[in-house]
Amino acid sequence: MSLNLVITLIVVSILLILFTTHFLKEGKIPVKYSLLWYAFALIIFLVGIFPQIFTFIYKKLGFEVMSNMIIGIFIGLLIILNMALCIMIAEQKKKTIMLIQELSTLKSKENKKF
Amino acid sequence: MSRVLLIIPAYNEEANILKTYKSIIDYNKKNKETYDVIVINDGSKDNTEKILCDNNIPHICLIHNLGIGGAVQTGYKYAFEHGYDVAVQFDGDGQHDVRYVKKIISPIIKGQADMVIGSRFIEDIDTFKSSFTRRIGIKIISIFMKFTSGFKIVDTTSGFRACSKKIISEFSLSYPCEYPEPITTAEVLKKGYVVSEVSVEMNEREGGVSSIRAWKSVYYMLNVCLALLSVKIRRYKKCR
Repeated sequence: MSLNLVITLIVVSILLILFTTHFLKEGKIPVKYSLLWYAFALIIFLVGIFPQIFTFIYKKLGFEVMSNMIIGIFIGLLIILNMALCIMIAEQKKKTIMLIQELSTLKSKENKKF
Repeated sequence: MSRVLLIIPAYNEEANILKTYKSIIDYNKKNKETYDVIVINDGSKDNTEKILCDNNIPHICLIHNLGIGGAVQTGYKYAFEHGYDVAVQFDGDGQHDVRYVKKIISPIIKGQADMVIGSRFIEDIDTFKSSFTRRIGIKIISIFMKFTSGFKIVDTTSGFRACSKKIISEFSLSYPCEYPEPITTAEVLKKGYVVSEVSVEMNEREGGVSSIRAWKSVYYMLNVCLALLSVKIRRYKKCR
């Protein structure tokens, strides 16, 4: 792995840690979701610092070069994250619909619409 | 005597809602029936709310548009909370004829069915039956329905339907937001409830815009078929 890629990976992981910590400090993301992003940052950091851990895996998995495997891993992780978000949105939608229904019924009852 | 509630979802139905409501009230007077009505104003942007208030029509005004599924479910929740024996979905656009309500609720009152669908296609009555392409779509959905539930339902997208107390309770807890008619039918059948169809006549829309527009028909059909396949693989608790 080239030195440039190592530096890029380390910089990206540090930026990810800084951003996550910032959002956590601002109260924009809850702790349980921040853990996921810290885990992402840690993986990127490990790939940058100890590329040899991954060098013996990528050929066995059928990747031509190490960078392809890194991209592959992250696309995979993002797909999982996306699915988790889809499920979360569907659950939130159900809750929002229920709240709108209950609130509208209460409001209409209060205003003697039925 | 069974208490019957007519649930009328309405979105931008200023042109028809009063006429629909009056037709039910007139029918009640003429035939000594006591059908109650609840209109669910699904966040209409026109004068529907004003018409409902000015004419003292019982209604629930949703603070945000939820779509047909969310609106109808609000009606089922109302029916459940007020202990109705039968709930009938009834369109606010003048498509459904109140004279057929008796025919639709009859199998439920007699205990012969848990859900009854008012069908345009089971008898060859010469009335409005929707466009040719939409009828092909309904036929394809019907084939998927048979595959999913093992039962043949001819008019899978009919919104003119009656439900028993047990189904009211089920629907008040869970009701799909999208494509509710075919999906709820398939789910109810999979749970082991009895669904029957009775022949009804329907009128063409007198105003407003249908929730299924022509250019969306193919997309609608694909989604419904996929949703029915998902009903096939899901596990449901049997009712009996």
